Amino acid sequence: MTTTPTTTTTSTIFQERAGFRQAMNRVRNAALPLLILAVYIIASIAVPQFLTFETIRAILLATSVTGIIAAGMTAITLSGNLFSLGVTASVVLSAVIYLAVGSATGNIYLGALAAILAALVIGLGQGYIVGLGLNPVVVTLGAGAIIYGATAIITGGEVVAARTNTLGVFATFAVLGIPLPVIVLIVFTAVAWFLTDYTRIGRNIRLLGSNKETARNSGISPMGSTIWAFLAFSVGIGVAAVLQAAQTLQVQADNFPELTMNVVAAVLVGGTAVTGGDGSPVRSVIGALFIATITQIMVLVGIPQGTRYFALGVVVVALVVILHLLRKASSR
Amino acid sequence: MRQLTDWLKRYALQLIVLAVVIISMYAAYPNFRVEASIERLIPLGVIAAGLAVTMIAGEFDLSIASMAALAGALTVTLAPLGLVTSLLIAIVACTLLGMLQGWAIAKLGINSLVFTVGTLVLIRGLTWLVCGGLAISIDDITASDIFYSKFLFLSPLSAAGLVILIVLGIFLARTKWGRELYALGSARHEAIAAGVRYRRGMVIAFGISAGCGAVGGALTSALSGSAAPDALESMLVIGIAAALVGGISIAGGRGTMVNVFLGFAIISVLSSGLAGMGAKGFVSQLYIGIFLLAVVLAEYFLKRFGEYRERARGRKMAEAVA
Repeated sequence: MTTTPTTTTTSTIFQERAGFRQAMNRVRNAALPLLILAVYIIASIAVPQFLTFETIRAILLATSVTGIIAAGMTAITLSGNLFSLGVTASVVLSAVIYLAVGSATGNIYLGALAAILAALVIGLGQGYIVGLGLNPVVVTLGAGAIIYGATAIITGGEVVAARTNTLGVFATFAVLGIPLPVIVLIVFTAVAWFLTDYTRIGRNIRLLGSNKETARNSGISPMGSTIWAFLAFSVGIGVAAVLQAAQTLQVQADNFPELTMNVVAAVLVGGTAVTGGDGSPVRSVIGALFIATITQIMVLVGIPQGTRYFALGVVVVALVVILHLLRKASSR
Repeated sequence: MRQLTDWLKRYALQLIVLAVVIISMYAAYPNFRVEASIERLIPLGVIAAGLAVTMIAGEFDLSIASMAALAGALTVTLAPLGLVTSLLIAIVACTLLGMLQGWAIAKLGINSLVFTVGTLVLIRGLTWLVCGGLAISIDDITASDIFYSKFLFLSPLSAAGLVILIVLGIFLARTKWGRELYALGSARHEAIAAGVRYRRGMVIAFGISAGCGAVGGALTSALSGSAAPDALESMLVIGIAAALVGGISIAGGRGTMVNVFLGFAIISVLSSGLAGMGAKGFVSQLYIGIFLLAVVLAEYFLKRFGEYRERARGRKMAEAVA
């Protein structure tokens, strides 16, 4: 800027403010990883069955599906378009396509490709409508209803099952004992992180989310960036649907009802700003890991399903409020 | 007379859509009875009204369907106290919860979409707790008999829904607190600068929203004599569709209870007609989704067209001056 603080008092105030802001940011960045660490330490002491190969494997497998979608959804949130509320319907449709195409051709790669392509087409349509400037929550809810209805009509509401067990290879295959879904999660997150932080498309999405006017004035097309964000999300949907279908080997139109909320919760708990511009896919995956861990611990301790839902709701609301207050403090 | 034409002009689009839907239902299915659609005022009509109130105030209450399920679960659990008592307790408790939610949103200055996504999960969890994780039912099956009586084409429930819509309509249009919600929704900073109390507005808007959801859920459970932890989940999207199809603006500050009623009527005729033809629930979900997207897209293009005409007129005037 052109004016510099003339008196020492103002400059020290500025410095103090900056220091405070930095400290708050650091707290915000470190909060969730530290919380997870604390949860793991406490759980491994208090819950005897917690630190076993099976438990950790179950947590990671549960994280893989929500984590991949959450990492993709982060692109939408970063672009300032809140979130998609049509996750469940899209995942079910992609999963049905994977099982159907995979069974018909006997080729799992062809099935996976078809599933991801279908997700991309759906995402492109939604991205275009949202890119026009329409409310993303309404658009994705409406699109979700359409996709759900269409899937149910196509399948007749019946269960779609894999005709051969080879379709499950994506879930059972493991490298050095690490299941493939977990490896896919790590690779997907790394790619998403690289794309959002180090490529022009990613930076454009971020700028669009933090200030739409500035973004437009500096030559970024809101339509283009919004569509890219929805495409990134759709790749996540397609990949996650294939992994999910490979695990269960059968899908029905009204499966996975809680998936949408789990993904949104993962993004929010991870600390990506809903107003856009600030956040990272890595954070969302950590959010998904946190939710999966808490859920698994409650299952191990034998807490009934109703109480689990309630506790999860309390955790989500509490974390959302705390993160909001921290962000407010750091931007003061 | 002038007033009537103004009124017709204002709601022309919705009235035409409603007429088209009703006519096509009769054409496709001669036994169709349009007055039966009004039965869905509980829960759909009141839930759409609750969503509309928060939208008018420039906010969004995603937790309303969970709130309805909670009220239903409370009604059934407390039914041994007498159905009227349990209904009252459930509705009052949920309204208070909603007011608390509005207060928290205003106090924290948090985006209401974010907060209510959290409470959507939280209140659903509360419903699971109240139900004990199972579908529950009222032991005294005769308790709900009074709801099946009929006066002309109105059952007690649809009459209650109609009364709620009318009272809300008068509240929004004629009282200071109601009009303040429009001010908060259309120009928030200016409204606050002019002395509108933001926190009070949020408490009122979210209180009404939760109250409407609770009435919908509680009466539905009272009628059927049962409640389930995962009940009424689809009411969120159907309620939003009804409010928006009716012409409530999601940007805030625009729309009346007449809009809500028309939107409700369109969606309700559509889904009861499809159900009458023997179509499964997912078919009407498909149509409702298409309707919702078509309406928001139509609204967008109409607005763009209006702006374009405005600009053309501006250019012409500039040329005339030059």
